[in-house]
Amino acid sequence: MPKISGSLSHKNVVCPFCSLHCDDLEINVYDNKLSVKNNIPKSCASKFEQLNLPIYREMPATIKGKPCETKKAYQYSRQLIKESKETIFLNSSVDVNITREALSAASKVNGIIDHVNSSIFLKNISIYQRRGYMATSLTEIKNKSDTIIVFSNNLFKTYPRLMEKFLATNDSFSINPKNKKIYVIGKQISNKKDCGSKDKRITYIDFNNKNISELLTSFANKKNTTSISNKIFNKLLTSIENSKYLSILWATSEFYSYKECDEIIYNISAYVVSLNKTMRAACLSLAGNDGDVSFSQTLGWMSGFPSRIKFTGNFFEYDKDSHNASQLINLGNSDLVIYLNSLSEKKLILNKKNKNIVIGRPCTKYNIEPDIFIPCGIPGVDFKGHIFRTDNVVSLPLSSLRLSHNKSLQQVLREIIK
Amino acid sequence: MSTLCLKNGRVFDPINKIFNKKKDIYIEDGKITEVSNGKISETIDCNNKIVMPGAIDLHTHIGGGKVNIARLMLQEFHNNSDNDYDLTADFVPSTLKTGLQYIKMGYTSCFEPAVLPINARQSHAEMADTPFIDKGGYALLGNDDFLLDLISRGAHQSEINDYVAFILKATQCIGIKVVNPGGINAFKFNQRALNVDENSVRYKITPRKIVRVLARAVYELGVPHPLHVHCSNLGVPGNFKSTIETIKAAEGLPVHITHIQFHSYGNNGDRNFSSASAEITEYINKIPNLTCDVGQVLFGQTATMSGDSMKQHANHSHAHPDKWLCMDIECEAGCGVVPFKYTDQSFVNALQWAIGLETFLLTEDPDKIFLTTDHPNGAPFTSYPHLIKLLMDKTFRDNLLDQMSVDISKHTILKDIKREYTLSEIATMTRSAPAKILGLKNKGSLSKDADADITVYDSSIKDIEEMFANPTHVIKDGIVVVKDGEIKKYTWGKTQVVKPEYDTAIEKKLKKYFDKYHTIALPNYKISNDEMSEVIGSDINEVECIRKRIS
Ligand SMILES: [Zn+2]
Repeated sequence: MPKISGSLSHKNVVCPFCSLHCDDLEINVYDNKLSVKNNIPKSCASKFEQLNLPIYREMPATIKGKPCETKKAYQYSRQLIKESKETIFLNSSVDVNITREALSAASKVNGIIDHVNSSIFLKNISIYQRRGYMATSLTEIKNKSDTIIVFSNNLFKTYPRLMEKFLATNDSFSINPKNKKIYVIGKQISNKKDCGSKDKRITYIDFNNKNISELLTSFANKKNTTSISNKIFNKLLTSIENSKYLSILWATSEFYSYKECDEIIYNISAYVVSLNKTMRAACLSLAGNDGDVSFSQTLGWMSGFPSRIKFTGNFFEYDKDSHNASQLINLGNSDLVIYLNSLSEKKLILNKKNKNIVIGRPCTKYNIEPDIFIPCGIPGVDFKGHIFRTDNVVSLPLSSLRLSHNKSLQQVLREIIK
Repeated sequence: MSTLCLKNGRVFDPINKIFNKKKDIYIEDGKITEVSNGKISETIDCNNKIVMPGAIDLHTHIGGGKVNIARLMLQEFHNNSDNDYDLTADFVPSTLKTGLQYIKMGYTSCFEPAVLPINARQSHAEMADTPFIDKGGYALLGNDDFLLDLISRGAHQSEINDYVAFILKATQCIGIKVVNPGGINAFKFNQRALNVDENSVRYKITPRKIVRVLARAVYELGVPHPLHVHCSNLGVPGNFKSTIETIKAAEGLPVHITHIQFHSYGNNGDRNFSSASAEITEYINKIPNLTCDVGQVLFGQTATMSGDSMKQHANHSHAHPDKWLCMDIECEAGCGVVPFKYTDQSFVNALQWAIGLETFLLTEDPDKIFLTTDHPNGAPFTSYPHLIKLLMDKTFRDNLLDQMSVDISKHTILKDIKREYTLSEIATMTRSAPAKILGLKNKGSLSKDADADITVYDSSIKDIEEMFANPTHVIKDGIVVVKDGEIKKYTWGKTQVVKPEYDTAIEKKLKKYFDKYHTIALPNYKISNDEMSEVIGSDINEVECIRKRIS
């Protein structure tokens, strides 16, 4: 690997690791090693800096857990793909350009393409597939929203800079930011801890978010039937009624395990729609951190569908049930799953019923050894790329900060599918 | 060098005043050439064929956030079985199908009219995934807080010009569009309507002022395409008056009024809805520097999508099927997607159909009016051949009018209009005129050195709709990409951009604004030429400004 001597400083670097994609990072590169210069949460900085460790830099391809030459891994991958009757391309963290390549790969082998978070983001899309929806985006919230309601159990852990950079900001173009009222509703202890902000504009309200529908009904009827004290409830209701621009934020992933999940997100949306008869209000449902938006958007324009497509000869078909990768895998209906994991550190859950190929960033975690692991570069660190932010409408350029030890995920796909 | 010859065709090349003349066309290296010195490597016999430059659609929603929202919202319509690869609906086609359908109809350049600067990366990525055609976008301004603030503080025109030029460069666009000037912004502050001379509550400026300032900026910068205007009061009965006021707001500078059909409504009669096409076309005919496209309505299911979140929100109760989405976007713009089904059982829809046709037929000069359905707002672009037949065949359109479920005969003068468009006029309005108004010197023409984008039709096909729907050959950059309806080769067009010069001092000011108020950094807002080709996937072609900047 050639060495870069001297130091290079990159400004306005876009962080690829969480879907807020903060782009104010300053990163120095010396001897191909990264150091983050800003004062940002440790958990954010370490996502870059840990990549300097030898274990990340020298991770080899493996076959059944044993290190091998990359060429061998390609060869064996081609063999498994050739032998497969039903190949699934399961995206677990991707950008726009990886999705484009994955789609092209799936079309060449008549495969199925899905994303690990499909079940969650399909719920968000289903709101406007069934009824009206009023949406907003982060810059609007920062500059216009005087009342912000965040339904959260662990959101500030998932999006560490959400409060600091987007909600409790010191500058707003259209309102006096001092008068912002921010209500964080959910598990108070974890919200206070993860958010860490003692900002007076923030009110933390302890609430079981399974009961959001009841809270919304109470707002609509102006009569509190919830566990929230009347004092706090009235404060909240007054803020809503006096608001010039109300924003309601949530992440559907936090409600996914509730049986009330669909009802909750439909009710939030319907409540906001009804408020807009006389005032302004809008929703922002935060997306997952695994390139969910880049995947569903790219698939959307290339196929008309957000996920779960199967290619069959001349054409493709969408079926959110029968092309659901996790179901197919659990039922043993697929013989080969190719995981595409360019960004995430979450553990991949592989199933030994089928063969598994993981094309992933170095130190991708899994529950069991895949048949083949091929390391790839990280878009935004090793390669240029294009990624969508959580609010669906902003997409950002990812840069290449250092010389890559590995090929890009797209290059690997092109190697194994010819 | 190999030369392709189109032999003995009847050529329509309006720029060179060639109409229906037998002529051979030679192509070398992707360009049109005069009589070739080289060996003719391939000859296409064009006896009984009509040869025209490739068609240009200057207003079609083919890529960007709201198009994609519509694709996902309306996936139950993706079951169109007459295509063997891609089942997406004609009114919300995938990028691949968009390219395929356009090229099979002989269209070789298409322009997305609503590129939100913050969403430009997505728009370009979608267009980059659209095969065959050349493309370009118009950047939306006039509802962004930065510009409205500049105007309200009385900024000098030259500063506004700098900002407009910066936006064109940053977004890799070819023109500037304003949608419901100031209205989308006002909706964010809970205003539900904004007339041309009404002040917005927040900025205390009028749509008239915004149009004037932007039309001037585009003119003074030398951008070929005039300010592209979606007027105030979309779809509101009686809106023809505000349309005329918007035209006047440009104060004689070049201006393009888009989907003018949706802005040509009177409020007379027992239904309080009437045609004002006579009033509007009188203006089009008399005012120089004014062009428009129609936004023709045709019956059937479609999706309306617009940056005009104010009006789309107001109209959401008409959604069919009953679902919709409106969005406020990044202190810059908005969008609204409302599915809609036009039916001839509706008096309003039937009259919209007639108003569009009246507008086409009453506008004298085919250089001033362009064939659009505002895809997909009035109808999908795949209905262009049908629309051409309506314009060229009086009997055909009169019969359709007679067969309509509702009787609108007392409300439209359509039957009194004898005019039938000629092939020459169709060639003008779909080829040379849009090329001219976009500043595309190498398009819409069969002159020497023009890009060899050419469409060949079979003139022995008697039905004009069928003829226009099925060109025998489509040539893109000198390559035969369609032959007898079959794709011969996949090619990828370029993105047409314009880059007027500006004083970079505006970037310092913008940087301050971005650092303080925006949620991304200015350098990441800009799309570089390298990013276009390496990451987004489309090479650019820079179109020249028409003159040096004035101020
Ligand atoms: Zn339009």
